Amino acid sequence: MDKHFVWLDCDTGTDDAAAILCANGLPELEIVGISAVAGNVELEKTYRNALRLNRLMGTDYPVYQGAEKPWRKELETGYRYHGENGLGGVELPLPERYPEVTEKAWDALYRAAVRYEGALELIATGPLTNVATALVKYPDLKKYLARIVIMGGSAGAGNRTPAAEYNIYADPDAASAVFQAGIPLVMCGLDVTMKAYFMEEDLLAVKAGGTTVGRLFHDSLQAPLQTQHGTGVKLHDVVAVMYAARPDMFDGKMAGVRVETRGGCTNGKTVTDLYSDKKFPDKNVFVVLDIDHARFVREVSELLLSYRDLE
Amino acid sequence: MENRIPVIMDCDPGHDDAIGLLLANASEKIDVLAVTTCGGNQTVEKTTYNAQRVCTLLDMNVPIGKGAARPLTEVPMNAPSVHGKSGLDGPALPEPAYPISDLSAIELMAQTIRSADRPVTIVSTGPMTNTAGFLLAHPELKHKVAQVSMMGGGIGHGNWTPAAEFNILADPEAADMVFRSGVPILMAGLDVTEQALIYRQDIDRIRALGNHVASVVADWIEFFFEFHRQRGYAGAPLHDPVATAALIAPELFQMRELYVQIETQGEFCRGATVGDVNGSTGNAPNARCIMGLDRQGFVDLLCSAVQTYGR
Repeated sequence: MDKHFVWLDCDTGTDDAAAILCANGLPELEIVGISAVAGNVELEKTYRNALRLNRLMGTDYPVYQGAEKPWRKELETGYRYHGENGLGGVELPLPERYPEVTEKAWDALYRAAVRYEGALELIATGPLTNVATALVKYPDLKKYLARIVIMGGSAGAGNRTPAAEYNIYADPDAASAVFQAGIPLVMCGLDVTMKAYFMEEDLLAVKAGGTTVGRLFHDSLQAPLQTQHGTGVKLHDVVAVMYAARPDMFDGKMAGVRVETRGGCTNGKTVTDLYSDKKFPDKNVFVVLDIDHARFVREVSELLLSYRDLE
Repeated sequence: MENRIPVIMDCDPGHDDAIGLLLANASEKIDVLAVTTCGGNQTVEKTTYNAQRVCTLLDMNVPIGKGAARPLTEVPMNAPSVHGKSGLDGPALPEPAYPISDLSAIELMAQTIRSADRPVTIVSTGPMTNTAGFLLAHPELKHKVAQVSMMGGGIGHGNWTPAAEFNILADPEAADMVFRSGVPILMAGLDVTEQALIYRQDIDRIRALGNHVASVVADWIEFFFEFHRQRGYAGAPLHDPVATAALIAPELFQMRELYVQIETQGEFCRGATVGDVNGSTGNAPNARCIMGLDRQGFVDLLCSAVQTYGR
């Protein structure tokens, strides 16, 4: 099996937490580092939530702090879906000891990318502020990243606004910089993530494993579950991780994609040319469009059920 | 005439505009009070001349008001690649038997609507410059506009750019004013019009109707098909006639009420019709958007319209 060396950039976040749990459990992936970005909740919380997951998983992945706010706009958090603590109100303890890390996310990411000599892949499940900042500070980073898999955007409608999906809307300028960077980019947008749903009984089946991981998964996702009117909770961020490890579960197409940053009502729209007669001059993004839903639910559930309580 | 829907046909003929005029003129459910022209598919000089010729072919003796040479704020944009140098290339047409009105498009709209005994529907199948200009100049008549049935935009995608459809892109400010006006909008966007396909066998069926209009319509569609065939279409998409057909036979169409905004800014999205499909704005719908159709029923409607011209 080919092992993918991955860096996770997250705004943990309920579905980010599930994504990290899956990434840690997937034999195809080896996590090199985790960086926190402001998004679903403030940076301080996304950083600590990543540390809490380290304790829960019994791991000691290095965790770095990145941007406190988007490049040119104020942070808009998603308390409604993620709760004030980012984990839907579920309390997890911090590790008893963790190192005082002062190195910034972008510096650490660059250092790791150089060390892996072009083999490192980036999975980004929050606003793209950290990634774009890294590309600005280290223009040669693009030589060292094998690819970027993001959760964000949509070839169709948005969710934060009619035109834009939350992660891209949160920092359109950063997203535009990443989309234009020339690094192979996989976009797991709403086209596919809206199909990556867990029904209440699927959540309960994981909780029935009787572990803290199962309870976290079920309990932290109750708020989004309630807002979805019986269509299940969408595990947006988990899609990016599962795609990175098991792309044969998905379908997609290369397309030209641009991020609108100068619009009136379309800022943060990922404008794709999949369905229009007129095409952009280049196809710069692999847009994931479809998923084997039954397999997704089965394999994500297995990954989560494989955890055992350590304390 | 009491039960007929009084309409003003505001158009830029244009092959598909011409077929829209035919549908309106042939229908017992529609009373065409006037035709107004705008620049779009070709310059307003050419589209006005084309409107005169088409009305002559169809024995349609109604006032024709010539519209503005320019969009509200934009430089004019034409589509010779689709409609040819004349704007209506293909079969020979009779020279105009009817003169152009002394009234401009806006003033003809105003006079027609003021003197009508019922609210009037504006069928808009070009850039929306005239309709916007009328609403700006004659706010006192807004309450007498029953609705604007328009071909333009697309909830899912564009055609002239990945995000924008031609008629909206040609005058986004005009479309924005109309969509914000409070006048009910019936929107035939690319979502439906790219499904309103006329196949080879349909063209043969129209030609076989054997009257002088049938052969011209068949030739128009053949000309229109050639452009689209090269772009991978299985048939000729009859965009503009959908705006008229939806008035005559609404049962053939699937509609969805949406709040639609027009993007007038943006690097990639100018001219996009942004539909609030997920309800993220909380705003009340301002448009009924046509999303699908009974294609065979649409073809049958077209054939019966052509048939009214005898054998």
